[in-house]
Amino acid sequence: MSENMGLAPPKNPPIRLTLEIVNTGFKQRVNELSGQNMDACYQCGNCSSGCPLAQEMDILPNRVIRLVQLGQNDDIINSETIWICASCFQCTVRCPKGIDIQAVMDALRQIAMDEGIDHFGPDQIDPELAASVPQPGLVGVYRKLAT
Amino acid sequence: MAKIAYYPGCALNERSSHLDRSARDATVRLGFELDELDTWTCCGAVPPVSEERVMNLVAPSRILKDVRDSGRDILITICDFCYNTLKRTNFIIKSDEITRKRVNAFLADDTPERDYLEKDDSLWEDYAGEVNVIHLMEYLRDELGYEKITESLKRSLKGLKIAPYYGCVMLRPQNEIQLDNPENPSIIEDFITALDAKPVKYPYRTECCGSYLSVSSPDASTRLCYRILTSARNSGADAVVVSCPLCFYNLDSRQKAITEAYSDFKPVPIFYFTQLLSVALGVEYGRQGFEKHYVDVTPVLDKIGISTGKGGEE
Amino acid sequence: MKRIGVFVCHCGINIAETVDVKRVAEESMKMDGVAYAQDYIYMCSEPGQTLVREKIVEEKLDAIIIAACSPNLHESTFRAAAEEAGLNPWQCEIANIREQCSWVHSDREKATSKAIHIVATIVQKTRLNESLEPIPVSITKKALVIGGGIAGIQASLDIADSGYKVILVEKDSSIGGHMAQLSETFPTLDCSQCILTPKMVAAGKHPNIELMTYSEIEEVSGYVGNFKVKIRRKASFVDWSKCNGCGLCMEKCPAKVSSAFDRELATHGAIYVPFPQAVPNKPVIDKDSCIYFKTGKCRLCEKVCEIGAINFEQEDQFVEEEVGAIIVATGFETLPVADLAEYGAGDVPDLIDGLAFERLLSASGPTVGEVRRPSDGKVPKEIVFVQCAGSRDPERYKPYCSKICCMYTTKHALLYKHRVHDGQPYIFYIDIRTGGKGYEEFYHNAEEEENIIYLRGKVAKIFRDGDKTVVWGTDTLTGRNIEIAADLVVLATAVVPKDSTAELVKKLRIQTGPNGFLAEAHPKLRPVESINSGFFLAGAAQGPKDIPETVAQASGAACKVISLFSRDHLEQDPAVAWVDEDLCGSCRICISVCPYDAREYDEEKEIVIVNEALCEGCGSCVAACACGATQQRNLSDSQIKSMVTASLGGV
Repeated sequence: MSENMGLAPPKNPPIRLTLEIVNTGFKQRVNELSGQNMDACYQCGNCSSGCPLAQEMDILPNRVIRLVQLGQNDDIINSETIWICASCFQCTVRCPKGIDIQAVMDALRQIAMDEGIDHFGPDQIDPELAASVPQPGLVGVYRKLAT
Repeated sequence: MAKIAYYPGCALNERSSHLDRSARDATVRLGFELDELDTWTCCGAVPPVSEERVMNLVAPSRILKDVRDSGRDILITICDFCYNTLKRTNFIIKSDEITRKRVNAFLADDTPERDYLEKDDSLWEDYAGEVNVIHLMEYLRDELGYEKITESLKRSLKGLKIAPYYGCVMLRPQNEIQLDNPENPSIIEDFITALDAKPVKYPYRTECCGSYLSVSSPDASTRLCYRILTSARNSGADAVVVSCPLCFYNLDSRQKAITEAYSDFKPVPIFYFTQLLSVALGVEYGRQGFEKHYVDVTPVLDKIGISTGKGGEE
Repeated sequence: MKRIGVFVCHCGINIAETVDVKRVAEESMKMDGVAYAQDYIYMCSEPGQTLVREKIVEEKLDAIIIAACSPNLHESTFRAAAEEAGLNPWQCEIANIREQCSWVHSDREKATSKAIHIVATIVQKTRLNESLEPIPVSITKKALVIGGGIAGIQASLDIADSGYKVILVEKDSSIGGHMAQLSETFPTLDCSQCILTPKMVAAGKHPNIELMTYSEIEEVSGYVGNFKVKIRRKASFVDWSKCNGCGLCMEKCPAKVSSAFDRELATHGAIYVPFPQAVPNKPVIDKDSCIYFKTGKCRLCEKVCEIGAINFEQEDQFVEEEVGAIIVATGFETLPVADLAEYGAGDVPDLIDGLAFERLLSASGPTVGEVRRPSDGKVPKEIVFVQCAGSRDPERYKPYCSKICCMYTTKHALLYKHRVHDGQPYIFYIDIRTGGKGYEEFYHNAEEEENIIYLRGKVAKIFRDGDKTVVWGTDTLTGRNIEIAADLVVLATAVVPKDSTAELVKKLRIQTGPNGFLAEAHPKLRPVESINSGFFLAGAAQGPKDIPETVAQASGAACKVISLFSRDHLEQDPAVAWVDEDLCGSCRICISVCPYDAREYDEEKEIVIVNEALCEGCGSCVAACACGATQQRNLSDSQIKSMVTASLGGV
C-alpha cells in the first residue's frame, strides 16, 4: 500500500515488521558498540522503575531497548531520553539479565552523534554556570552529549 | 612520613580546591602524605563512551602508567569521577587484551622516548593494569583503619546527625568498582561513626543528583537534588556529607534554585568528608574553605561548639 | 443421656474473625446433652486433636461435635481421633461454621447467632446417632485404564509392574496419543518418538496389560472395587490375529483420506495405520472412506492380502470385564482453527495450529522434518506464532490458560530457526509463562541467542493477502501496533477436553468442571482422584498439562490404584439407607429415584432391598418412600425433625 503524500502523516502508524527491519544492523550496531546483547532483555522494566531521570524522559529506558529490539532507530535517535540519561549506572547494577544499560545509552548517543545529532554545544551553556561548575560536569557533558 | 601517590584531578586542582586542601591537611595528621603526581592530565571525567572509543582510554592509562613507571602500585584519588574513570580504565586494561594492546600502541606512539624506542622496543613495557586505584575513603577504611581516625580525633562531632550521600559513580558499576554494596553501602556511615557523629539513613542516599545534567538540563538536576535533600532533612540530618565535587556542587549550589522552586524547602549544609575530617582532627578553622559553600555551614558547626569565630587548636 | 463434647475451632482467623467462637462454646454448654465445650485456634492441628482425645477420656464423653470447616475436609481426621480415644467414629459429627457461616457472612453478631444454631442442630442429630460399623466390600484387583496416550500408558505400566492386571482401552487403532505426533519436547529437546515408543512397546508386550485398541467404553456399572465394564471393540475389518503387518493393502488402496495424525497435512488410504511406529501395528479400514463400503466395488486390499486377513463382514464386538478401579486418561484436543473467526475461520491456507507445526517439524512427518507451508510447499522465511489463540479469553472462547503453549511456541520458533537459519520467527504473547524446571532458562536462551522476536500483545486479526498471511497485532512494550506479512502463521490454539469426554463421563457418572475437564476430588490435596470413589484421573483430561506433569499425575493415579488393591477389602460408609421389611409395600418407587442403582427388588422377600455397597447415602429413596419403610442410618425422621426445630431456634 502506498501512502498519499498530500495527507498529514498518521499520529501512530503501525510498525510493519519485516525480516529486513529486524535485521538491518541497527540492533547489531548497538550490540557491537555497547558490548551487550539486546535480545537478552526480557522487558521486566526494572531499569525504568528505578531510573532517577525517568520523569524527565519521553521514552522510558526499557522501551528504548524494546525499540532497538524491533529495529526502530529513528524513534530512539530523535528521543530526549538518550540525552537525559545521566549515566548513573542505577539500571546497570539492577538489571536481572546483566545488561549494562548505561553502555547501551552510550552506544545510542554515539550512533545519534555519528548521524550528526549534537545535543549540546558550548554556545548553550550558561556562562555563570560554566565558570563555577566543577570540571567533571563540563567534561562529562561534552563527552556524553556532544561530538 | 609515608607518601602515597595522589591524583587530584582538575576539580580539586581549582574549583574544588577546598576538597583538596582539607584532604591534604587531614591526611598529614593521620600520618601520611598525599604525594601529587609530578605531571598529570585530565582523566576524561567519564569512562569511554563505547567499545569503539579506545582513544578515551589513553589519557587515564597514561596517568596510571606514569604511576607504575615511578615504581608505585597505589594511586589515591578523591573525586568520584576520577576514581570511577581511572578504576574502570584499569579494569578494562586488565580484562581486555585487545584493548590493552591498542591503548599501549597509542601510549608508545606519543611517548617522549619514541625515537629511542624505535631502535629498541625492549625498553617499552606495556601498561597492564599494575596500579591499584584507591579512593581516599577506601584507603582510610582499609589501609589506615577507621579506628585510627577515632584515636586521632581532636574535636568531637558528637551530637551531629549527618546524612551520607553516595551518588552514583563512587559505587557503580559495582562489578568493576567493588568499593561497597551499591544498594546498601556503609563506607560513609562508618566514616561518620568514626568521627563520633551519628550517621542518618535515608532512602535517597544512592540516588543520582543529576551529575553533568546540571550543565545541560539544570532543572532536572534541581528536581533530583530537592528530593535527595528533603529526604535527608526529613530523616533528621543536620547536614549531608559527600566526596564528589559534582555532587557537592549540585547539592550545595542548586539549593538556590530549589529554594526558589519549592516553598517548603529548608536549606541543608553540605560537607566534603575531608572537611569534617579536617575539623575533627583539629586543623585550624578557616582552612576548610567553608566560605566557598553556598549554604552556610556555621549553624551546624556552632551546634557542636566549634565557634566559627575562633581558630582551631593550632 | 449422652454426654456430648463440643469443640469450636477458630481456624486461625477464618472463623474467629467473623464468629465469636468463645460465645459459641459458652452457648453450646447450655444445650441439652452437652457436657463439655471448648474453643481452640486450630482444632485440626496435633495439639487440637490431642485436646479432643484427652477431653473424650477426661469428661467421659459419648459423642463429640467439631464446629469447624466442611466435613469434606476434616470429618475423617476427627473421626479417626475419636476412634483413637475409644469412641465409635459415627459418634463424631462436624458442625460446619466456616463454609456455611463465617466465610459467607460479615455481620459478626448475626454470624455468631447462626453458628450457635448450626451447633444446636448438630447436637440434636448427635443425641440420636447410633454407633455404626463400616460395611466391608470385596475388591476385584484389576484396573481399567481409559485412554492410551502417555498418561494411560504410564499408569498402566506402573500398575502392571506392581503385579496387578490392567486393561488399557484406546479408541484409536494405536496407543501413543498426542505425544506420538510431537517432534521434539521442551525443554530438553529430546525426540518425542525416542522417549515414547519404548514405553508403547513395553505396554504392548507387558504380560499384565491387555491392550484393547480401536475400542470404546460402552457401559459401566458397579462401585469401587467391583465395577462391571462393557467395552465395544470396533470392527477394523482386518483380522488382527492373522495380519502380519506387511502393509501391501495400504499401498494398493486407491482411496485418499486426510490423515488426522498428520493434522490434514497428508493423506493415507482407507485402510491404514496412523503412523509407522503404531502399537499394535495393525491396519483398520475407515468404513466412511472405503470405496467398497461406499460403492460396493473395489476390495483391492482383500485381493492383495495373501493371508486373507481382510474381513468386510466383521462387526463390532462387545466384551464385559470386571475391574476394581478405573483411571480416566482421555487426554485433550485443541480448539479447531475454524472456530477462530477473526483468525480466518480455517480458510487461510498458511495458517495452521501447533500440532500441525509439530508434524512439519517431525522427521517422520509429511515433509520429513522440512518446514514447508501447506499452500505451495515453499519454505517460509517469516513465521508468526500467535499465542493464546482461544485461551485466556473468557468472553469469546476459553477463560483458562492452556499452560503448555508458551513453552511449545518457544520450542517451535527455536526448532524453526534450527531448520531455516535465515528465517525470522515472531511470537505474539500476552504473558510468557514458564513455570517448570529448566523452562525459564529455555525461554531465555531462545530469546537471547536465537533472534526470536517476542511481541507483547494479542493478535486481533489474520487474513490472506496474495501469497502472504497478514497479522495485525500490537506491541504494548513500544505502544505501537505491529503488522507482519508472514509466509506462515502458527496458532497456539486452546487446549480443550476431547469431544468424547462429555459422553464418557455420563457413562462413568463422574464429574467435570465448568470447562469440561475432569473434576478432581480436591484441587490441592486429592488431585488424582475423582469425587466418586474408584475413579482416578491422569493427564490433560483433568486440565491442560505438559508431559512431565502428565507422567507424574499418571504415576500418582497408578499409586492410588495400587494402594487400593493392596487392601484385603474396602470399607463403605454405613450411614446409608435401610429398609424396615415389615413396612415395605414393594411399590418400587425407590428403584426409580436411586441414581446409584442401589435399590433392587428381592424376589424371595418380595420387598425392595438396599445394596449397601452401592448406596451413597444420598437420601433420595428415603424421601420418596411413601410408607416410611426406608430410613437412613443416623438421619432418621426423628433426628431430622429435631434438627429442623433446632435450626429454626427452638432448641
